[in-house]
Amino acid sequence: MRNPARTYMSRRSVLRAGAGLCLAAPALIGARAAAAQEIRLTARPGRVTLNGAARETIDIWGYDGLAPGPVLRVRQGEPATIQARNQLDQDTTVHWHGIRLPNAMDGVPGLTQAPIRPGESFTYAFTPPDAGTFWYHPHANSLEQLGRGLAGALIVEEREPVAVDRDLVWMLRDWRITPEGALAPSFGGAMEAAMSGHIGNVVTLNESAQAEQPVRAGERIRLRLVNGALARIMSLRFEGHRPQVVAIDGQPCDPFEPAGGRLLLGPAMRLDVLLDMQGEPGRSYDVIDDFYDKLSYTLTRLVYGAEAPVRAHPLDAPLALPRNPVPEPDLADADRRQIAVTGGMMGGGMMMGMGGMNGMATPGMDGGAAWAINGSSMTGDGQEPMAPLFAFKRGRSVVLAITNQTAWWHPMHLHGHSFRVLSRNGAAVPHRQWADTVLLAPKDGVECAFVADNPGDWMLHCHVMNHQASGLMGVVKVA
Amino acid sequence: MKKYRAVAIALLASTPLQALAAPIHAILYKNPQCSCCELYADYLRANGFDVELVPTNDLAQISAKAGTPSQLEGCHTMLVDGYAFDGLVPVDVVKKVLAERPAIAGVALPGMPTGAPGMPGVKSGPLKIYAFTKDGAPPSVYAVE
Repeated sequence: MRNPARTYMSRRSVLRAGAGLCLAAPALIGARAAAAQEIRLTARPGRVTLNGAARETIDIWGYDGLAPGPVLRVRQGEPATIQARNQLDQDTTVHWHGIRLPNAMDGVPGLTQAPIRPGESFTYAFTPPDAGTFWYHPHANSLEQLGRGLAGALIVEEREPVAVDRDLVWMLRDWRITPEGALAPSFGGAMEAAMSGHIGNVVTLNESAQAEQPVRAGERIRLRLVNGALARIMSLRFEGHRPQVVAIDGQPCDPFEPAGGRLLLGPAMRLDVLLDMQGEPGRSYDVIDDFYDKLSYTLTRLVYGAEAPVRAHPLDAPLALPRNPVPEPDLADADRRQIAVTGGMMGGGMMMGMGGMNGMATPGMDGGAAWAINGSSMTGDGQEPMAPLFAFKRGRSVVLAITNQTAWWHPMHLHGHSFRVLSRNGAAVPHRQWADTVLLAPKDGVECAFVADNPGDWMLHCHVMNHQASGLMGVVKVA
Repeated sequence: MKKYRAVAIALLASTPLQALAAPIHAILYKNPQCSCCELYADYLRANGFDVELVPTNDLAQISAKAGTPSQLEGCHTMLVDGYAFDGLVPVDVVKKVLAERPAIAGVALPGMPTGAPGMPGVKSGPLKIYAFTKDGAPPSVYAVE
């Protein structure tokens, strides 16, 4: 990070984060300010220069005028209030993605709150029950507002600090930059909405594209990866390193080394990885994203300083993070429901379910829906009244069997709950993986389970923003 | 491109395109996750084209630059001899454009209709291929297959 402090919004959070930004001894990580957790955040236009290889200066909308917005740090189990002010010229809200919070704080306009009008503010108040890596973004006109830059990381700190040398956030996203060097004014037409969504041509890590990341031999880094892109899926490889996944979507898992060393990260997904920097002093190592066929690129480069290693052997501290208090679903007595995701371009008969392809139309080309969940399509921000897909009895265990009957990938996100990912295509999912956003490849089927313990109407949608806005969205009720 | 164009023009004078030995070079920009474009490329190759597939996530900008109106945007954009072909345009229509050389930017078959080249199924009706220009004039029907 060239200028780490600019990503932090207040002096208080700078202080709190400060220990994570230098090569500190493990004991220093998690040194905390005692201040009350009161945060102010303003959504407003800004102008940022992308650092690193891309040097464009672009007009954005950002929290406190920054993209990404400030890294917010709050403490597990302690009340936090965040006053969000709207200095845009349109309505907005803030959704605290992945936090199990009261429904009225979830930030969905027309469903959980009235939109925040231009010039007005709304105070979000919640006590985060789970420590981990979360993020925040608008849920109003999401395609454009997230597309223009409104997003930031939200870190809920563990009660007891985790023993690492450094705690880093990599907020990842992409931008579509025009040949003239401006941010492309549209965030996806009908064709993109019915295919893979709006994917940009410049990928940034925090505020930089392809900038180097200085590291030191022997240190252990907790790297918090957040995919804040509208639609881009990433598959990251750390050349010469063996990242251990320790949490998914904020929820700790049994630590594991992913197959092929690849960290798969769909839009809205987060991974916490522990990296023991066992490379050679003075050398550098590429971090490569090769998700899209023949479109591999170097995201960043880990550059080792010439200093002697911090320690001779990897840190002898446990990899596993302390568990969060998420209730275990009772699979023997669960309310089992099916979710079929349909629509989109390609694949013959599937499109017929979307009103036919009578020689001319593209799904969604007429401004209508391109996608559906169980045959129904909620579009736009979802404000229009629509019957819930399901109503769950509060406290009941639920198993959702989601099948992707389309030719495209979908990161499916449920609000207000974290769920255990039980199986994928009939095979049990190992390492006790919990998530709030589960990525389905074309034709994938996954089973997820959770206790419907959080009352209210909750969004269930695809986090490819173009898909969400064109029908891949619905509501589930817990009462 | 210039070379192919010269060859094409020279040969057009005497020979129908179908009989040409020299393949017609086409650059096909495609979504990296779309497989019907590959079937379409195979179809073109079988009909005498030399197709270069270029996966890109920037299709919308490429298509816009080629002049395709957004409502006609197909799942891929192909550039052949100065013309843009958007979507699963049948090969006869591609060759018709190259032979007639109309004053247009290109043609498009919007959507991905069943029965079109590269798509499974049978046609549910005639395929309308639209011509477009870069001067803002509304697209017009160029061919019906």
